[in-house]
Parts: sequence; structure tokens; C-alpha cells
Amino acid sequence: MASAKAYESDWAFEARLRRRIRNLILVSIGLLISLLFFFPVYLMFSSSFKSEGEIFAIPMHWLPHEFQGFRQYEFAFENTRIERWYINSLFIAAVQTIATVFFGALAGYGFAKYRFPGRNILFLFILSIMTVPFQILVIPMFVLVHQLGWHNTYEGIIMPGLISAFGVFMMRQFAYNIPDELLDAARIDGASEFSIFRRIALPMLKPAAASLAIITFLFSWNNFLWPLVIAQDRDLVTLPVGLTYFSQSLDREPLWAVAMAVSTMATIPVILLFVFFQRYFIEGMMVSGIKG
Amino acid sequence: MGLVRKRQYYGLLFVAPAVIFFAIFFLYPIVIGFGLSLTDFTLLKPPVWVGLQNYQDLLNDRLFLKSLNVTIGFVLGSTVPVWVISLAMAVLFFQRFPGRELMKVLFFTPLLPSVVVVSVIWKLLLHPSGILSTVIGPIVGQMPIKWLFDLQLSPIMSVVVHDWHIAPFYMIIWLSGLTAIPPELRDAARVDGANALQSFLRVELPLLKPTAVFVAAISTIRAFQGFSIQFVMSPSQGGPLDVNTTLGIVIWKYGFQFFRMGDAAAISVVLFAFILIFTLFQLRLGRSDDFSLS
Repeated sequence: MASAKAYESDWAFEARLRRRIRNLILVSIGLLISLLFFFPVYLMFSSSFKSEGEIFAIPMHWLPHEFQGFRQYEFAFENTRIERWYINSLFIAAVQTIATVFFGALAGYGFAKYRFPGRNILFLFILSIMTVPFQILVIPMFVLVHQLGWHNTYEGIIMPGLISAFGVFMMRQFAYNIPDELLDAARIDGASEFSIFRRIALPMLKPAAASLAIITFLFSWNNFLWPLVIAQDRDLVTLPVGLTYFSQSLDREPLWAVAMAVSTMATIPVILLFVFFQRYFIEGMMVSGIKG
Repeated sequence: MGLVRKRQYYGLLFVAPAVIFFAIFFLYPIVIGFGLSLTDFTLLKPPVWVGLQNYQDLLNDRLFLKSLNVTIGFVLGSTVPVWVISLAMAVLFFQRFPGRELMKVLFFTPLLPSVVVVSVIWKLLLHPSGILSTVIGPIVGQMPIKWLFDLQLSPIMSVVVHDWHIAPFYMIIWLSGLTAIPPELRDAARVDGANALQSFLRVELPLLKPTAVFVAAISTIRAFQGFSIQFVMSPSQGGPLDVNTTLGIVIWKYGFQFFRMGDAAAISVVLFAFILIFTLFQLRLGRSDDFSLS
């Protein structure tokens, strides 16, 4: 009896030891790699509170020695049009997000719940759009927008991204799951087709719409190539394009602390979305397979 | 019955705005894109028909041929290493250990800043007086290290920055693939005497095949479009000496610096051909799960 007990505690001790060693190894590897990945983001944030002279201090200052408060942020506001870029980015992202979600839900619902002639071929057309990246379209899109007289205008920046094929596709997948009985019951009550969409389908599509809204906002907020080629006017550029003015000055060293302050400001909306809507954020990125 | 039939036409009404939009902002540009690639066009004068001349010229175009090399290098660096890192991290975060959730969030942070912000941060990190130069310089006995101005190092740094930024994204996808594997299968393998590695290689990895196809295809297709990191981070947009000039950068240069729209359109068609190959590969190999297109 006693020997069995000793054996058992031996066994328990060994198991505990094994688990401890395993945890120690996993924690060290995890900590090492995650800190390595986190470091550049931390540096962006901490550098935005440093003085310019402190940026290249050796050894590196983990925390600012000459803490600047928000002076670098104020400097950006006083010496550039950043508030304008911020508003541009927000406005463009808001319009594209609302339109993408609404028209995506509308078309997705149409494809999922009605059998009209040409449905399959039209849906195949939408699917084929998703296989063509924007980079390939940028030249002819530029020519088209030029023809429309929208060069250097908000319409020019916004219109090509107003509706996304992925949005239609995603909403169709989710609209499929809306029970037909629910729609038929409303029809018997005499509701019109559009009010069925608005009152029944749209509320049921809400979770999918939230994911779609977040990834559309991110895509638009981070979009670089199109605003870069289409907006020449400095009051029309978006935040990512404006940010390059800081880092690409050829004649002198960039003001790095200010550039880091602007970078931090450009990232804050994304961090907020991530913190408050983590589930939709990750879900949206996963189903889309795209990341702006 | 007639009423039901008639009702179905409402569907056409619902899809009409999107379909009309894509006819204007997708179909039409695709058509004029192919058309322009057969012309000389500077935006100022009407296009002049030159047939396949632009494509023929590309065969002797030094910058285009260089960009093919650069793009292939970037694609190789932006795929295989990313798969390995992101899968390894997914396997790690699939285990239970103290502090896992916090580490996952820290590992995830590189994905939050936009590519342009990422490029600016790394431009500072890789500055000759920056942290990576002053820490690694003394070790290799070379001060300062001009990461971004060195012909060999600079394209490698574009890859490092890209992989750092995107690895968390693929980690999340691998992780969801791992989570979807029924735990009974793993348990069964362990009961049959398989160790952790054997169970991973024989049970989990084969079941991750759809995820692997998705990750492989998406990362390759994305890498072919490499543009922003090279544009923002490398000296003079794609330098030094064009070692970071990807196909995307060449399209931008020909189109918006030299206003040679015909040549830029022809290069776009070539890039499209590359991407189409990998899209077809994904459609063929990928099962119709959530991730594939149909």
C-alpha cells in the first residue's frame, strides 16, 4: 500500500515537473517571438514622444528621456495639413464602407433568394472580379477616371471602390441562411419585396455586415496605390499618402519623431476597431483573405 | 404560379446596381486595359495603334526584365518563410500555456498599422544610425550598416518587413484550421502511441491541406503585387539601382512618371497572366470550403 502511494506521488511529481518544463519552454519561445514582433510597433509609439535629438540615441532609450508630451503631434498639426488628410481618409472610408455594405447586402440577397434569368452568369461575373487585383486595373482605371473628368476629385478617389465584389459574394453566402418561410410569411402579410429586404433580411445580415464593414473600412483606410495616383492636390490626399511626405524628403533628414506621431495617429482607428470589435475584425479578415 | 415567376424578377432589381457598377468600373477598364496595351498613349494625344509592338519591346526592356527578377525574388521571400513562421506560431499558440493570450495579441500587432506606416517605421529601424545598425553593426564589425542602400541587403529587407507585417495574418488562418480539426482524431493518434510530432505530421498536417492551399495561393498572389513597401521604404521608389523595382513599381513608373500608358498596360497584362496561373492553381486544388471562391 505504502509503496503504491510512493509510486503514485513519484508519478505525479514527474508529471508536474514535465508540465512545468514544457510550460517554461513554450513561454520562453512565445515571449521571445512575440516581443520581437511587437518591438517595431512599440518603437513607433515611444518615438512619437521623444525629441528629434533622442531618436538615434545610443544605446536606444526605451522610454523618452526628454519626454515631449504631445508636442510632436502638435507640430504635425501646425506644419502640415494632417487634419485635412485625416478627414479625407475618414470621409472616403465612411462612404465606401456604407455603400459596400448596403449594395453588397442588396445584391447578395438578390442572388441568394431569387431565381431570375441570367442569375448564374451574373454571379459568375461577380466571382471573376475577385480574381483580378486592383494593381492590374490601375492604368485603365486612371484613364477611365480621366475620361469622366474626375481626376483629382473625391469622386475619382471614391467611385472605383464604392462596391466590392467580395462584399456581394460574402453577403450572398450569409443571405442563403435566411429561412424562406420567414420571407413568405411577410409576403402573405402583404409586404413589398423591398420592405421584406429592409425589415427582415437586412437585420438578419447584421453580423455579416459588421465584419464586412470593418474589413471595408480597413481596406479603404489603408489604401495607398489608388489615392497616390489619383490625388495630386495636397488637400485631397489621404493619410497614407500624406505620411510619405514625411519619410521621403530628399533634401534633408526626415523629422522622425513627427513621422512616428503621424504613424501612431494613422494606426489609432485600427487599434480601436481591433479592441472593440475583435471578433468581427478577425472573422472579417479570415473570410476575406485580404488585408489592405 | 405566374405571380411567383414575376416575383423572381425583383432579384434582377436587387442585383442591378452592383452589376451596372461593375460593368463600368471593372469590365470597361479590363477591355480598355487590353486595348491600351496595343497602343502608344501618353494621355495627351489619342492612342496610336501599334499592335503587339509593346509586348515585343518588353522582351528587350532592361527595367522590365530586371523587375521580373526582383518580383520573383520577392515572391519567393514572401511565401515560403511566411508559411513556416506563421504555421510554427499557430502550432505554438494552439498549445495551452500561461500568458498565451497576451503573447498572441503582441504577436498580432504588426498587422494593425497600414503597409505605409509599417514601411515608415522600418525605414527608421533600418536607418544607418538606427537601432538595427548600431546593435548589429559592432557584432559584424561594420559601422554603420546601410541596410536600405546595399544592393544585396535592401531587397532582403523588403522581404523581412513584408513577412513581419503579414505573418500574424496567416497565423490566424492556420490557427482556425487547427481548431477545426476534431480533437478525437488527435487523441486517437496519441492513444495509438504516436508522439506529438508524429501526430502533427500524420494527422494534423494532412487535414490542414485546404488551409495550406489557401495560404499558399493567397500569399503568392499577394506577393506578385508587391508595391507599397518598395515604394515607401526603398530609396527613390524601388532603388537602389532598381533592386526593389517590382512589376508593380514598373507599372507605376511607366504609367505615372513617364506617361507611357501603353507600355504600363502591357506590363499589367503580363502581371495578370502570372496571377491568373496561381488563381487557377488555387481553384483546382482548393476544396469549396469557406475560403475558396465558389
